Amino acid sequence: MDTDEHPYIPTLIADLTSRGISRRDFLRKATLLGMSAAAAYSLAGISEPSVARAEDMPKGGNLRIGMRCMEIKDPHLADFAEKSNVIRQVCEYLTLTDRNNITHPYLLEKWQVSDDLKTWTLHIRKDVKWRKGGKALTADDVVWNLKRVCDPAIGSSMLGLFTGYLVQEYDGGEKDDKGNPKKSSKLWADNAIEKVDDATVRLNCFAPQIAVPEHLYHYPMFILDPAENGAFGADANGTGPFEIVEYTVGKGAKYKARSDYWGTGPYLDTFEYVDLGDNPGAGIAAVASRQVDGLSEADAVQVNAMKNFPHVAVYKVETTQTVVARMHPDAEQFKDKRVRQAMRYAIDREKIIQTSLLGAGTPAEDHHVAPSHPEYAALAKYPRDIEKAKKLLADAGYPEGFEFDMVTRPDPIWELNTAQVLAEQFKDIGVTINIKSLPSAQYWEVWTTAPFSLTAWGHRPLAIMTLSLAYRSNAAWNESHYSNAEFDQLLTQAEGILDPKERSKVMAKIEAIMQDDGPIVQPFWRIFSTVMDKKVKGFELHPSQYIFAHQYAIAA
Amino acid sequence: MVKFLLNRLAMMLLTMLCASFLVFAVCEYTPGSVARKSLGPFATQQQVDLLTAKLKANDPLVVRYGRWLGVLVGAIPDPLQDPSTGLNFKDPRGSQYFGNFGYSTLNKLPVNDVIWNRLGNTAILAGLAFLLIVPLSIIFGILSGLKEGGPLDRTLSVICITFTSIPEFASGVFLVTLFVILWPILPGTSPLNSDGGWAIPYQFVLPVAVLVIYDFGYVARMIRVSMIAVMERPYIRTAVLKGMSTRRVILGHALRNAMIAPFTVLLLQINFLISGVVVTELVFAYPGFGRLILEASLFGDISTLEAATLITVAIAVVTQLLGDLGYMLLDPRIRVR
Repeated sequence: MDTDEHPYIPTLIADLTSRGISRRDFLRKATLLGMSAAAAYSLAGISEPSVARAEDMPKGGNLRIGMRCMEIKDPHLADFAEKSNVIRQVCEYLTLTDRNNITHPYLLEKWQVSDDLKTWTLHIRKDVKWRKGGKALTADDVVWNLKRVCDPAIGSSMLGLFTGYLVQEYDGGEKDDKGNPKKSSKLWADNAIEKVDDATVRLNCFAPQIAVPEHLYHYPMFILDPAENGAFGADANGTGPFEIVEYTVGKGAKYKARSDYWGTGPYLDTFEYVDLGDNPGAGIAAVASRQVDGLSEADAVQVNAMKNFPHVAVYKVETTQTVVARMHPDAEQFKDKRVRQAMRYAIDREKIIQTSLLGAGTPAEDHHVAPSHPEYAALAKYPRDIEKAKKLLADAGYPEGFEFDMVTRPDPIWELNTAQVLAEQFKDIGVTINIKSLPSAQYWEVWTTAPFSLTAWGHRPLAIMTLSLAYRSNAAWNESHYSNAEFDQLLTQAEGILDPKERSKVMAKIEAIMQDDGPIVQPFWRIFSTVMDKKVKGFELHPSQYIFAHQYAIAA
Repeated sequence: MVKFLLNRLAMMLLTMLCASFLVFAVCEYTPGSVARKSLGPFATQQQVDLLTAKLKANDPLVVRYGRWLGVLVGAIPDPLQDPSTGLNFKDPRGSQYFGNFGYSTLNKLPVNDVIWNRLGNTAILAGLAFLLIVPLSIIFGILSGLKEGGPLDRTLSVICITFTSIPEFASGVFLVTLFVILWPILPGTSPLNSDGGWAIPYQFVLPVAVLVIYDFGYVARMIRVSMIAVMERPYIRTAVLKGMSTRRVILGHALRNAMIAPFTVLLLQINFLISGVVVTELVFAYPGFGRLILEASLFGDISTLEAATLITVAIAVVTQLLGDLGYMLLDPRIRVR
């Protein structure tokens, strides 16, 4: 056993032996605390999920995947899985969370964490080379990247994740239009991100945080070449398996395999994304005539149309991807928490899943913590209860209900369908919802300011990541304007508790606050699906819709 | 004649000026700033303000319009290409030349590098469709106009009306289901490169078919009405009575007169085919002009939008001019002396 082993690891092993925690929980915790995945899997008594063996993979060929190719400003600002998929083949992350929610080192050799979870030492791999110039990846490069995303002027969403343990908010003395002080953010100390030597970086946090390795895999956290200062396009430098040779918004991207890649793969000679536009029919047609080998995502309707094509394999994975109908507690109608509760009692989750997802989902419980999250605490479930909802509304002063606009977007189509089913169901308690469907570009203008909107949230391996991004007071993506001191304090507490059993006690309190007082109605978790040609080998569907082209191969 | 042409040219410039100003004004009142769209949903307000200032999007409407016009005619250099803005906009043609449509904020390229290629793609699609629409609609129109209410007229009318009333997205899906999925002999999308294993000519079949199906019936109906009116004229009766063969009556007397009114309709189809094919382009993921306009307008990419507007106005005015010239050829009575 490693001499640098975290002191909590023996406890975890003991818990595993006594069946105090599940194997999955053990794997997750042990790897987060720096144990290698291979060792953790062997201790848990299960074999590591079969990663296709390199020598068995066919070599050469071109793979084409249909995906929207959107405008990319800066990799550290990547705000959609699609954008990160374009960059992901070229630039890499320090860590990698796999489809089983286990986090591994990626550009790191390993990490170590102090007993108090406040000091994280990151050991950088020494064999990683930048494509241009053949320089090795250094601690300076990593420090530059980590510091850059903490600069508020860059506007990376990493800032929100780091707030609370690396980054602090302070009053910069400026006032906004309404005269309220404008908060700004900065690293809490000069040595918060510290270079130890050429291959070692240390994060000195002011609060304990267990999810650091998972945060380092958040999709904007690419390690970029400092010389390119955040620019991305054809010929961009990276440590990744491919060189990007062409990128045209609305058309596609083309890649060429690197022959000197440090990791395993790539098996393909070339790789391509083809932009098929917003029309879901074009994806089906392109797969049918084999103009693409697969799609980055296929919704339930598309899968139904394609599952009988003889050359197509369907892939599915349960995710923590979801939509929330979130209400601004500062809007007049939603001020009273009984109104928000009534909205939660008004919906029939199974019916929504059947109608808008064609069954491809599992019911959610209005607290944005999924059963597949390790910190999930099971609370009593509540069914649809119209009478109770109506009474709550009446008590809050709306015996006749009220009328309100809900903002949503027309694509993906299941989001709009969900909005429509929700509106139908809210009608039964007297709440009339007018759906305002805005084109995506305009929707993202108002997503944080509209008092009532339906918002999609991507998959995250830990619930505390989403809760901290979306519901902590003043968090970067706090679109629901939710602010609850008790919730914030419990969340900070949960982020520092290592013992899964202890943590889930705090999580139960957090979930209860969300159900009682929280700003969201959350109907379901989505089952994510896509299609690939059967000749594509090595493909595994990642719950975050991530594409790793260097793991895929094409059978002749 | 020269005066007539100059007159028309002046009118065209005036129309272009009005249209381009209107587009500027309308964009002004659509929700969402370019900077916000460019930076995405998660950018801070501070960043949005910074980029707005760099793009000079805070200046009054008239100032920005004047600047755009100045850049277009080459009177001033494009201020956005100034390296000091930090926008990194570079045009290999230089920043000051006649016909500088500016920089596309959506594509991060000079508009001139984006738009002509797309316009060319749509022109090929439209041209092929037009080549089929003209003869098909003339034949259908004449045949059904020969004898109003006859069995042939009834049959052709049913075909024309049915085809015209099927929307493009529906006929697109039908054709894809038939020829791509059930009987796979054609590609389902038209990216205009053969990387996907289908030669480019095959990729035109379905989009062209959709356009022809949608459009030819309508034009045929116009020709039919005109043909019916002509067939009732006394000179046709005279020609028939003097023993001329039906073939010669139609080709020699009826056709030319019956084509005068539909000629305008036919030319108007060019405008429709250039700027109105967005649905067909979406269904087949065709990299055309219509999709570019749609994406540019959703993104608020005003430079691309303005260029597209000027081009469509120019096409409309030129087809109108051609229409007038065509009238003169067809009808000696309206020739200018």
